[in-house]
Amino acid sequence: MSVEAQQGIATPRIPAGLGGLLPALTLIGLFFVVPVLALLLRSVTDPSPGLQNYAALLGDGTYARVFFNTFLVAAVVTIVTVLVAFPVAWMLAIMPAALASILFGIIILSMWTNLLTRTYAWMVLLQRTGVINRALIGAGIIDQPLPLINNLTGVTIGMVYIMLPFMILPLVGTLRAIDPMTLRAAALCGASPLAAFRRILLPLSLPGIAAGGLMVFVMSLGYFVTPALLGGTSNMMLAEMIAQMIQSLLNWGLGSAAAFILLVVTMALYALQLRLVGSKRAAGGA
Amino acid sequence: MKLIFAGILAGLMATTAAKADEMVFTSWGGTTQEAQTKSWAEPFAASSGIKVLQDGPTDYGKLKAMVDAKNVTWDVVDVEMDFAIKAAKDGLLEPIDFAAVPKADLDPRFSNENAVGSFYYSFVLAWNKGAVSGEPAGWADMFDTKKFPGKRTFYKWSAPGVIEIALLADGVPADKLYPLDLDRAFKKLDTIKSDIVWWGGGAESQQLIASGEAAFGQLWNGRVFALEKDGADVGVSWNQNLTAADVLVVPKGAGNKDAAMKFLAAATSPTGQAKFAEASGYAPINTKAKAEMPADVVKGLPDAHVDGQINLDMNYWAEHRDEIAKRWYAWQAK
Repeated sequence: MSVEAQQGIATPRIPAGLGGLLPALTLIGLFFVVPVLALLLRSVTDPSPGLQNYAALLGDGTYARVFFNTFLVAAVVTIVTVLVAFPVAWMLAIMPAALASILFGIIILSMWTNLLTRTYAWMVLLQRTGVINRALIGAGIIDQPLPLINNLTGVTIGMVYIMLPFMILPLVGTLRAIDPMTLRAAALCGASPLAAFRRILLPLSLPGIAAGGLMVFVMSLGYFVTPALLGGTSNMMLAEMIAQMIQSLLNWGLGSAAAFILLVVTMALYALQLRLVGSKRAAGGA
Repeated sequence: MKLIFAGILAGLMATTAAKADEMVFTSWGGTTQEAQTKSWAEPFAASSGIKVLQDGPTDYGKLKAMVDAKNVTWDVVDVEMDFAIKAAKDGLLEPIDFAAVPKADLDPRFSNENAVGSFYYSFVLAWNKGAVSGEPAGWADMFDTKKFPGKRTFYKWSAPGVIEIALLADGVPADKLYPLDLDRAFKKLDTIKSDIVWWGGGAESQQLIASGEAAFGQLWNGRVFALEKDGADVGVSWNQNLTAADVLVVPKGAGNKDAAMKFLAAATSPTGQAKFAEASGYAPINTKAKAEMPADVVKGLPDAHVDGQINLDMNYWAEHRDEIAKRWYAWQAK
């Protein structure tokens, strides 16, 4: 090990500590790369060799709609998550460390609760006879229950809630690294708070937004439980459709093809982001 | 709810070695599997000495994966009947050994060469009395949003039931349902589409009706039975109730076929069926079972409502399963 590491330092072409990566690479190779290849293979051989599964997926209005829905939901969730997470992250970045760590604890705590439990809790809150609608009707604010569930609204609320920590954490890292003096300097130069935000804080925090945003977007693309429970059938996302194909229709070829398309699109997006933001920044470095 | 467990690899289950004194029974979980355990598995284990391990929920993808991989750890599986017919065609099931499983008293509607009945049930029209004024009299009322406003709930998945309900409501006579006129059914469903809340599993259907989230809906009679038992204020119409069945199958290459057949004999026996029906409110598929049941339980069974009862055509569904599913999900996604 240490010899390897020293050699790594001596000859820059072999990165140092490559040996330490072996366990992780083996795991990923065995349990990710191999299954993905098997998936790809099935998508072009089941039920018969050829590209008919891909042709069926890409040539059908319903599937196109589901693809569109998937990206629409992921995009909406990502945008709303950024908008909600930014002020929280900024507060966490500037508040005293002791207080911030308590608030961090609360945010992380939500991630320790079972996903299904949290989603069911949202059902209880959002449904027509749920807590929110009853309270609003009781207070005389609305007459008819608001449609908060079984539609895009329900999916967005439920998923933003689940995704928030994944956005807040990288964002706080980025924001903490920003020198607060830059904002003071801006104010001294006569910039309004809005201008300081737009021209200093926002550009400097972009790497964090990009890193968190990509993570949220990619996780949202493959999300299953929350859209299935809080969405309506017209908001069906790809993961649910794939589950139907695999589980209910036993059409594994088609399901594999759909899963592979999702994978390729996701990786393409990642590559695009690397190019736009730069690999170091996309990985969360400030 | 079954879809929530999608993606769990069948291989995870593939470690149980087949032992002669042990077998695995797989069903849908919840109150149904509990009743099956109590009524079938426990007495069977006591009398035969064969230990019955429970697994679940039933997952058709997993079943196929096991058979394909020739590593079958499930010995008896509770599945929907239309799936059983399709699966038998695809070579996924063992034939039933009727030398070991007495056939004479089994309801012929729910058994064939590769499956014996598990229980049968009816789709009935149930409503929350607090959320509906008046009494819906039949399926047509579910499509009358003026007379009966409010959300209505239907079974979410492509399966026998909703298409038939739409056609009946549209005036198709019961004996002219098949072959299903899908265009007509979807046109009828379009008229109430925005008022539909879908239920994906039995517990969800109960929650929707009990809370009044949906005023009324198409429910499994056993789930309505359980709601009534819990004291929920629900009404039920058996008018044109639609029967369908769960069946028990043995996956091809099951590790413990002999034990599985013995289990099937016990599960379909008059006593096993009577006990299960009493616990679940679903109907026995053994015609001798009713003699062993209390009169008040018999009264609540689909058997007591054969007048106007319609048998959903499982053979038709097995044959057209994929093509209907494709249209069903396309329509839902619109």
